[in-house]
Amino acid sequence: MISKTFLKETKELLREGRVRIAFVVVILLLGVSVWISARQYENVNQQYEIAKTAERAIWDNQGEKNPHSAAHYGTYAFKPKYPLSLVDQGVDKYAGSSIFLEAHNRNEAQFSAATDQTGLARFGDLTPDFILLFIIPLFIILLGYNSFTKEREMGTLTLLKSQGISSWKWMLGKWAALFLPIFCITALLFLIAGFLLNGLENFGVFSWSSLFTLFLVYIAYYIVFTNLVLLISAKTKKSGISLVISLCVWIIACLAAPKAASNIAETKHPYPTRQEFAANVLKDRREGVDGHNPWSKEAKLLEVRVLQEYGVDSLHQLPFNFDAYRMQKGEEHEAEVYLKHYNHLKNQYSKQTQVYRGLAAISPYLPTRFLSMSIAHTDYATHWDFADAAEDYRVATQKFLNDNFAENSNYGDWGYRADASFWKSLPIFEYDPPELDFILSENFSNILILAFWIASSFGLLILFTKTI
Amino acid sequence: MFSYNFKYELKLLLRSRWIQLLSIILLLLFGFSTFNGLQKVEKRKKDIRAAYVEVQENDEKMLKLLDSVERGMEVSVPRWTIPTSPMAVGNYHPRVAAMEPQSMAFIATGQADLFTHYVKPKVSGNDFAMNFAEMTSPVQLLFGSFDLAFVIIYLLPLLIIAFSYDILSAERESGSLRLLAAQPIKIHTWVLQKLGLRFFWLTLLVVCSLTLVFLVTGLNPLGQLGVFFGLLLLTLGYMLFWFSLAFLVNLGVGNSARNAVMLLGLWVAFVLLAPSLLNQMGNTLYPMPSRTLMINEMRNLKAEVTERQDEILDNFLRDHPEYAINDTTQFRGFYHRYMASQRLIKEELSPIVDAYEAQLKERQDWVDQFKWISPAVIVQESLNQMAGTSTQDYENFRKQVVRFAVGWREHFMPFLYNNKNFTQEDYPQLPKFQYETKAYASFATVPILFLISVGLFTIGFLFSGKTKKGELLTSS
Amino acid sequence: MIITNNLSKNYGGQTALDSLNLSVKTGEIYCLLGANGAGKTTTINLLLGFIEPSSGSAFINQLNVHENPKATKRFLAYIPENLMLYPSLSALENLDYFSGIAGKKISASDLEVFLNEAGLQPEAFNKRISTFSKGMRQKVGIAIALAKEAKVLLLDEPTSGLDPKASNEFGLLLQKLRNKGVATLMATHDLFRAKEVATHIGIMKDGNLKQQLVASDITLQELEKAYLQTMEYKALAL
Repeated sequence: MISKTFLKETKELLREGRVRIAFVVVILLLGVSVWISARQYENVNQQYEIAKTAERAIWDNQGEKNPHSAAHYGTYAFKPKYPLSLVDQGVDKYAGSSIFLEAHNRNEAQFSAATDQTGLARFGDLTPDFILLFIIPLFIILLGYNSFTKEREMGTLTLLKSQGISSWKWMLGKWAALFLPIFCITALLFLIAGFLLNGLENFGVFSWSSLFTLFLVYIAYYIVFTNLVLLISAKTKKSGISLVISLCVWIIACLAAPKAASNIAETKHPYPTRQEFAANVLKDRREGVDGHNPWSKEAKLLEVRVLQEYGVDSLHQLPFNFDAYRMQKGEEHEAEVYLKHYNHLKNQYSKQTQVYRGLAAISPYLPTRFLSMSIAHTDYATHWDFADAAEDYRVATQKFLNDNFAENSNYGDWGYRADASFWKSLPIFEYDPPELDFILSENFSNILILAFWIASSFGLLILFTKTI
Repeated sequence: MFSYNFKYELKLLLRSRWIQLLSIILLLLFGFSTFNGLQKVEKRKKDIRAAYVEVQENDEKMLKLLDSVERGMEVSVPRWTIPTSPMAVGNYHPRVAAMEPQSMAFIATGQADLFTHYVKPKVSGNDFAMNFAEMTSPVQLLFGSFDLAFVIIYLLPLLIIAFSYDILSAERESGSLRLLAAQPIKIHTWVLQKLGLRFFWLTLLVVCSLTLVFLVTGLNPLGQLGVFFGLLLLTLGYMLFWFSLAFLVNLGVGNSARNAVMLLGLWVAFVLLAPSLLNQMGNTLYPMPSRTLMINEMRNLKAEVTERQDEILDNFLRDHPEYAINDTTQFRGFYHRYMASQRLIKEELSPIVDAYEAQLKERQDWVDQFKWISPAVIVQESLNQMAGTSTQDYENFRKQVVRFAVGWREHFMPFLYNNKNFTQEDYPQLPKFQYETKAYASFATVPILFLISVGLFTIGFLFSGKTKKGELLTSS
Repeated sequence: MIITNNLSKNYGGQTALDSLNLSVKTGEIYCLLGANGAGKTTTINLLLGFIEPSSGSAFINQLNVHENPKATKRFLAYIPENLMLYPSLSALENLDYFSGIAGKKISASDLEVFLNEAGLQPEAFNKRISTFSKGMRQKVGIAIALAKEAKVLLLDEPTSGLDPKASNEFGLLLQKLRNKGVATLMATHDLFRAKEVATHIGIMKDGNLKQQLVASDITLQELEKAYLQTMEYKALAL
């Protein structure tokens, strides 16, 4: 029964011109998008390698210099592109890829690709995620909108009923016929992507298990769409109406809901402007020790405290350079201020995330999008993680430099120069993105929402096809 | 025939509740998107106002400090922030260089979520390192905004498709087409009249609901009659384009579902694929030089310059004696050297920066050439330009700010190199930034859009003569 | 009024209609009998100008259908097998619309006269077509023909699916039109109705007009016999 229906539906699909054309178009688009992304990926990573080594060379070859001058001179942390960005580019285009690490200031990642592009970039890119998230659901609609309505329109429904079919087996046959081609296309794409990535040099953190998880996420997404399309087809009387309703669902889920969510999230939990943020940081910074200002109230307090602690009555008697010590204390205060303000940002973002999760109730697109980006390491959380790692490294670097300054010179000795070989001893900045297990546990609610979508759409489908 | 079509088309549309449904959908969509747009504009205005207020408060403090210092009183601020030093004024009391929203800014978010609307350029730092990117969650940038432009570009065509995909095929499927064809009329003229009427009604609904939404949200469309009509004409041109496609598809022999699929395919091609393909090709043909590599180059240059600071200062003063014309003290401090080397860095880096500008411009030119492959691209660009949120607007702003930053720096140079103190009398002479809007919107696109649509209609008419009417009427 | 001269139609080598010569004069009702695929509907489509003849010609009111597609339609009315009107419009509105686009301006009171003449109950005039039975829809179709003052009426299986009473009423209506001087061509399977209303009967098979009879000359039994003989002709030939 199931296999009979499956074979009949598959034959019908294969014999239809529109299906064949659409199939070819989807495969073609996928091919082009994978090729473009693979090229881009190689290109960006090449630049990343060059920039990283060049920057380190610049740092290492500073020559003799005061450690605090070197701190102001700073260095850069570059964000690599991860292999699975080949499948999902996520927010990479909108997040900067290089962070300037200097004394006193935490800088934002700079130079996002979007700021260097024309307004056209806002339409979206022809990347595999665009095809996977938007076009394939459309393809499912195209294949399945008349799955049940055609039986009504042709009058074969009454004939089938008189043959005493079991409605859920019949439905399952139709379901399998609709889902199998989608499954095949997706599997093909992920296999190609896997072998492409395996073949690329220095593929780094690429793992087949991440790719497979990503594959499962998309399969889950397509199951939801398959269920919805069949559900609509079973509940409507005419093919045309079924098509229109399915499309409305698609528009709301994939286009309208994300945009509306972004508007609502921004209005309810706004980010400060860049200038506002800077002004707020400055205000808080003024309330603590400033490494460059020995005359401030806080600096004087620090002086008294340190003198007391060491039981001496002059800064010159301290076993280290108090200038450098104050510099470090100032640095710590500043790091704290930044931490506070960035935590506020993160807080706002996690509130925004709640809005997105809430609207996921009307859009299976949202949990899929977030899961996919997370697994591909192209989401906002990974960007935060990278920025935090860079900040930790910056704070550690400042301590490293200030300690050298404090230990090797005396109070007031601004002429101190560290050895030319000293710079090499600074540890190299290494960043590893979160592991798959961690990502999945972080995205537990998204997985739950998606699972809920699958379960409820299946349930409704079985419930409604019973009464056909 | 026309008067009867007119009368009964309206009756049919009313009885099938199309008109009622469309009015509600349009009102909701226009209302929600306008509301969103206005909120964004309001926030933008508020932010800018707050920045001005902050500067004003700071200025008052600065004047008080100056007053105290000039009267020889002790002040309790760090030595290097005392505003008698011109560099302190230049760094700690920057002016706001703001880009006020234009009157129609709410219709299209454009690049407004990506770029900042005000900066405060200081005397130190590089102009090209000035960060014009706004602090926005990249997720928001990725999803985009539910603005009027989105409704017009993405959703309106879908409404048109739903409204017109089965004009002929529905008659065929229900069987009334044979009866119609037995009347002494031309079927193609009849289809055109039906489509024309639907276009008329949709136009009326769009115009009314837009006007209504504008009035309710407190905007006076009569206040900016020119721009408002520009918006309406552009929207109508775009709608006409989709109606002409619907006409072509309707004339082809197809059933309703096939028509819908075909029109949808066209929608995907014109609205989703063509723009992204164009963007991708632009990126591939005119790749941006790597920003990360630019950073490397900049750093190398800086390292080199820092070593030769004294020499650079000497050269600088030799080249620009005018700056130090009244200097009697010959005092040379950190800033004297710094400003001179900054200038050098800027000069030496300008070819690299220019390369970016040139590449971006070439890319834009390339896109301009090919934007005609999709009316969606044209409409997006035109709406952004009307709203003053297009890439060009922000580029214009950026250029004006850089010019202002140069002026700001130049203003303090004579103070610095003459070792002259900044005083209360010098305050009113501080340069101020005034953003000059440049109108990029050109109404030339509207007639071209209309021409394209009329061309498509003509093609439909020419080809329809050749298609076999028999197929249309005998196959069922 | 209706004349065909060696009218033929081929569909890719297959003959749908083979040199049909037919003439229906004013005040005549000509019934075309034949199995499915005999060429009845093809004949009607050719007379309507919906398809082009492969050879030969068709005339309505002395005008060549092929050469004057629009002009000939002014004189004819057509009722397809399953007459579909606009379901959300009433009988009056449908009549107004169809006669309107045919170029006739008719006052509301006259429209009611036509509907009345077509036998529709007055209480149904303002009801929506979606509530109508097939017989009622056909009455509106006749009203459209009346309003148009059609000289030629083309009917394709008008009585299929009608109950005997409705079928009888329809037959009476056709007689009424005939008395007004309308030339009617009606394709049908219904031998009984054909014998009842027709003045002339033609029996078609495989695109050929095999036999022409004058209705008043024969009984229903004779007609049935002639029909079956014509149908078996092929079986014998095989």
